[in-house]
Amino acid sequence: MSAYGEFETIMCEERLLVEGLTAMGYRAEVHADGDALVGYHGDVRHEKAHVIIRRAQLDSASNDIGFARGADGRFRALLSEYDRSIGYNDQWLGKVHQHYKERQTLAVAKSKGYIFRGKEVIQTPNGPQIRLQFVAR
Amino acid sequence: MQQKTITVVIDQNGNSSVDLEGFAGQGCDKVLKDFQGDDRARVQRKKAAFYTKTGDSRDQHLKSGQ
Repeated sequence: MSAYGEFETIMCEERLLVEGLTAMGYRAEVHADGDALVGYHGDVRHEKAHVIIRRAQLDSASNDIGFARGADGRFRALLSEYDRSIGYNDQWLGKVHQHYKERQTLAVAKSKGYIFRGKEVIQTPNGPQIRLQFVAR
Repeated sequence: MQQKTITVVIDQNGNSSVDLEGFAGQGCDKVLKDFQGDDRARVQRKKAAFYTKTGDSRDQHLKSGQ
């Protein structure tokens, strides 16, 4: 090994976020200027998001889940306390980040000319890890 | 010639580690940067192979935010 790095994933690319959510089974809406989230009563909330999973795809008492792009370009999740309590919690957000990072890594590797050698999913006590291998030309 | 391999492990929280093998010299930095993308660096470490060309065998630990 000649170098090693650990990185905290920052979600900045809308396309990759949407692709990741799609892989998780959601049909995410994209709103360039943001759209209001809707609560479980059908009430329009004051929070706006640029990528939205509508509540119809979630639990019957769920609110919309949104991802709002901040001034720094980073997407941040907007989740109600109720939805966090029924499983759309940090663990679920971790999966969103994991799907995003897998796609981001593959996209970067392709654009930079690295050769993809394979994917392996490793089961750990804390959840599955994704291992991607590449070689440099 | 040793093959230059890159192994990316993405944990259950979506955070990643990037392991480079077979690289030497400044090429490591570019490859790490490619795979870092927009992400925040938590740990970066260069190992012996990196220093082959510079003659410095020290490990280097960097903990930095962006």
